[in-house]
Amino acid sequence: MRSFSVVWNTTIIQKWVMAITGICLVVFLLAHLSGNLLVFLGPEHMNAYGVELREMFHGAAIWVVRLGLIVALILHVLSGIKLARLNRGAKAVRNDKVEHRTSTIASRSMIYTGLLVVVYVVYHLAHFTWGVAHGEYYHVVDHLGRHDVYRMVVDSFHQPLITITYVIAMIVTGLHLNHAISSALQTLGINHPRYTPMLRLAGPALGMLIVIGFLSIPLGIMFGLVK
Amino acid sequence: MNLRLHIWRQAGPADQGMMKTYDLAGVNEHMSFLEMLDVLNEQLLNAGEEPVAFEHDCREGICGTCGMVINGRPHGPIARTTACQLHMRSFKDGDEIYIEPWRATAFPVVRDLVVDRSAFDRVIQKGGFISANTGTAPDGNAILVPKTDADHAMDAAACIGCGACVAACPNASAMLFVSAKMGHLSYLPQGQAERSTRAMNMVLQMDAEGFGGCSNHYECEAACPKGISVEFIARMNRDVAASALFGRD
Ligand code: HEM
Ligand code: FES
Repeated sequence: MRSFSVVWNTTIIQKWVMAITGICLVVFLLAHLSGNLLVFLGPEHMNAYGVELREMFHGAAIWVVRLGLIVALILHVLSGIKLARLNRGAKAVRNDKVEHRTSTIASRSMIYTGLLVVVYVVYHLAHFTWGVAHGEYYHVVDHLGRHDVYRMVVDSFHQPLITITYVIAMIVTGLHLNHAISSALQTLGINHPRYTPMLRLAGPALGMLIVIGFLSIPLGIMFGLVK
Repeated sequence: MNLRLHIWRQAGPADQGMMKTYDLAGVNEHMSFLEMLDVLNEQLLNAGEEPVAFEHDCREGICGTCGMVINGRPHGPIARTTACQLHMRSFKDGDEIYIEPWRATAFPVVRDLVVDRSAFDRVIQKGGFISANTGTAPDGNAILVPKTDADHAMDAAACIGCGACVAACPNASAMLFVSAKMGHLSYLPQGQAERSTRAMNMVLQMDAEGFGGCSNHYECEAACPKGISVEFIARMNRDVAASALFGRD
């Protein structure tokens, strides 16, 4: 019988790993976005949500989710780097003239957009989770003594430099998602003439929707929709 | 018509190789692309130069022997057409044409436009049947094959193994080829017996040959002269996952 590692390291199973972990990350993005959009409902909702997240199941829930995300991200990054190197080696010499017909800038730059997302995630955690970047906005409490998530977000995005950083990060993420979602379905073997033409449009559309959703927050704050 | 050709010239596997430019006059628009190269080679021979090496056999688009990247596209600008079935009427007077070999680490250049595609043969061998005589041939219709399955198997079997999918892929992935070879067996009752083993064996050989993974760019489908669909890749992905999870070999 073939060992686990032989099968695990085949290109196709590595792509299954990419697709399954990638979809976990997309589901997280959707959940994260729906939470973040509470900022439009005001400080009460936002800060209560922050407390709820940290205290659900005596604080266990957030750690279970975090653990899952860390595992998914590590597997996604490791397989992504492994595949990217393999793919580059398989095409060590390229033709002088290459005409792309179906691939896109998004599909050809997955490894670069992916690695940029890692950089962004570290910054983002340092900013809003650990409070080590822009700490001046982090250490605020509201009238109930709760961590004032709302104030932290709104004050941060009043800084044009911070807003611009987030906008760029979201565009990069959007490029990744533009290819990622419908690609994952193909990897999982979901391809049928009845619905695949639709799904090939729905994937990029969902990616775009996620990015617009996230962008609405810094831009909404900068343009004064949220005070 | 008069053409300016930029052609990859490489004397042997160890040679560096480079693009060389040739001016070719009086090309007839009814010539096939390979006939145009024949004319060029006549001229080169007459001038005492080495002719351009390229592969060909049937010259009617069914054997998969010919193959070259023409202006950045495997088999040239016309969809579902092999280089041998491409005609010079698809070009116009004064055109510059870039002619290069398939590029893939698993397909080393042998000479000029000729690459070694024996990696494909080794992948096929991994998926093959063995013949064991067990009596007379079964009756014609003893094994029923639903029409749609037969059609799908035929679609997959249309693959001529030319390697354009590998050449078109930014990762030099052979997934379209391998999935077609797998698919034409897995759609038929006769192919069920070793379906799971075959899927894993072929993929392991494909990886061992140094082909890349599939990033779902779908350049292969666009380049395939037989219009093979990436649906077969999705089917292969399912078969390989099933083999990984449940296969006992
Ligand atoms: C917001 C976080 C991320 C999400 C939601 C995400 C999602 C996805 C999805 C769904 C796929 C498609 C998988 C497939 O084609 O089957 C994918 C592909 C890919 N991801 Fe990510 N990803 C994220 C972060 C990253 C990171 C941090 C990297 C860093 C290495 C990365 C590298 C890649 C690469 C290289 C591919 C293409 C693999 C290939 O087709 O060969 N991704 N991603
Ligand atoms: S020479 Fe046979 S397909 Fe072109």
